[in-house]
Amino acid sequence: MLDELERLLPAGRVPAAVFGDEDLYRRELRAVFARCWVFVAHESEIPVPGSFVRRKIGEDGFIVVRNDSGGISVLFDACRHRGVQVCRADAGRTKHFRCPYHGWIYDTRGRLLGAPEWTTALEGMCREDNGLLPAAQIATRHGLVFATLDAAAPSLDAYLGDMSWYLDLVFGLNEHGVEVLAPPQRFVIDANWKSAAENFCGDDYHLGTLHRSVWDVGAFPVSFQDDMTGYHIQAAPGHSLSLSMAVDGAGAGPEFYGLPGAVTATFGPERVTPTQLAIARRSRVFVGNVFPNFSVLAQPATEDAGSHPATGVLAFRTWQPLGPARMEVWSWFCAYRNMTEDEKRRSYRAALGTVSVGGCFDMDDAEPWIATSHTGRSVAAGVLGLELNYQMGMPGTGRARRADDWPGPGIAVTPRYEEGVQRNFFAFYSQMMRS
Amino acid sequence: MEAVTSPFRSDAHLRPGSPLHNEVVEWMHLEAELLDDGHEREWLQTLVSRDVVYQVLLRQTRRRADGPGFVEGGFHLDERYGSLSSRITRNGSAWAWTEDPPPRTRRFVANIRAWDRGGDLAVRSNLLVYRTRGDQTQPHLLSGERHDGLRREHGSLRLHRRIVLLDLSVLGVPNLAYLL
Repeated sequence: MLDELERLLPAGRVPAAVFGDEDLYRRELRAVFARCWVFVAHESEIPVPGSFVRRKIGEDGFIVVRNDSGGISVLFDACRHRGVQVCRADAGRTKHFRCPYHGWIYDTRGRLLGAPEWTTALEGMCREDNGLLPAAQIATRHGLVFATLDAAAPSLDAYLGDMSWYLDLVFGLNEHGVEVLAPPQRFVIDANWKSAAENFCGDDYHLGTLHRSVWDVGAFPVSFQDDMTGYHIQAAPGHSLSLSMAVDGAGAGPEFYGLPGAVTATFGPERVTPTQLAIARRSRVFVGNVFPNFSVLAQPATEDAGSHPATGVLAFRTWQPLGPARMEVWSWFCAYRNMTEDEKRRSYRAALGTVSVGGCFDMDDAEPWIATSHTGRSVAAGVLGLELNYQMGMPGTGRARRADDWPGPGIAVTPRYEEGVQRNFFAFYSQMMRS
Repeated sequence: MEAVTSPFRSDAHLRPGSPLHNEVVEWMHLEAELLDDGHEREWLQTLVSRDVVYQVLLRQTRRRADGPGFVEGGFHLDERYGSLSSRITRNGSAWAWTEDPPPRTRRFVANIRAWDRGGDLAVRSNLLVYRTRGDQTQPHLLSGERHDGLRREHGSLRLHRRIVLLDLSVLGVPNLAYLL
């Protein structure tokens, strides 16, 4: 099947089975989730020594903890004795983790401190060889903590490549940076994680159909046609994004995703280049995905157009794999630290009503993704040879063209009626899965 | 989150069978009927106060010493009258894909306990919502508790405060497209 994907992708086709095949899924857990850099937490979630959250790498539980020296440890949640889970809460604050089975106890860096009746039971055993296993590498960008299980993986900077330049446009616009507004919403969709990840690479086309109801309630202040002007960007292998902006510069705001003027006034060229600032200013919407499963969304929205004009919402999420046809969505909302409490509250309420589990946008997303996973598992797709169509924007299909004057890195295409951003995702997926 | 008390610990708790308790039960059953029958707009206009605060709290798994896990300032839904109205309008849109074909929902409201706080009735009730769509045989089930404040406005009871406390931390449903 990977051979088929490699053969078909240059022609803009993807075998339907990638969204449902069990063997492919099993392989993804090793070839993708155990090797790529994955998002595990934002620093603002673990602010003080001892504060921890429990997160996933692939399907596996990891403790993400602010250790006693102020650094961050990402530890496999498995006691070295019998592999029992030592962290049984989603979050909290602790000085140590104690295994419920035999009482082996570890500190916040994963070092084995001891066990009951140590002398009689375990005297002579080397503690250093029996600590909780850390992820192979950890690195942070704009407070976003990433980890990888692969010691041979390139650095996070090398892995992100020019996607870093674009992440700056959401998270790095002033010296305050962002903080998370609440712990993540978590909910389950019976669909393949790649349906969601590829959607956030820059599927804007679906807004006009799947999310058309949002215009019935004025949740989004830009018309579909206007919103489709802008750029699709393949920032680096596997990492794609999409920016909605008026191409000819005629101010079809809002600026900076609709964030309040008081905070955008603090965005400046001290942190980002003038080019980056100009692009962020002109952007109405930023939607993007860091391979494999870390998505970012910045857009103006309102949950109640009659009472509140649209305001900027900043969100990021992960699509955690639970099976070939099952994913758990983890959805965070954040805000620039120097926004007022009122501004943060407004942004959070707008987000909850639009781009959250109960939001007018997100509600409809699950429908097609669930259906795609049925097709992905179907016998008919294989027997009848269903190759999914990813050809929008390829030569001879539509009017999207390379934007040679795009001042940022990566490959930029305009307008946003194209699917190169998804083909970029699958090309890198194909490469990771085969190597 | 405001402190929760049990009506059974209060002298002001309404005894089942008393006229006021009956009125509360009837209100709860009418609400469930309107929502199950798809009359969301009528629910909003006749049973909900204009200054309603309607919240579904975010919940984590926490150690017992850290409490039941509801997150201060963390929500799945944080609604007011205007946003509820917007939600209902969206559900009626020809482009609301979650609503067409419509799901089948049924709300089971039980353990209705109420007490009089002088001008405001505090009510706790258990809720089980059963939902299926299409040819699903395994329903989406949500179980939780509502802490409500009902207030008499022009003679009839209206909801001015609802906090929904769900019995899970990870929602097993793909969306909260329906009212709890």
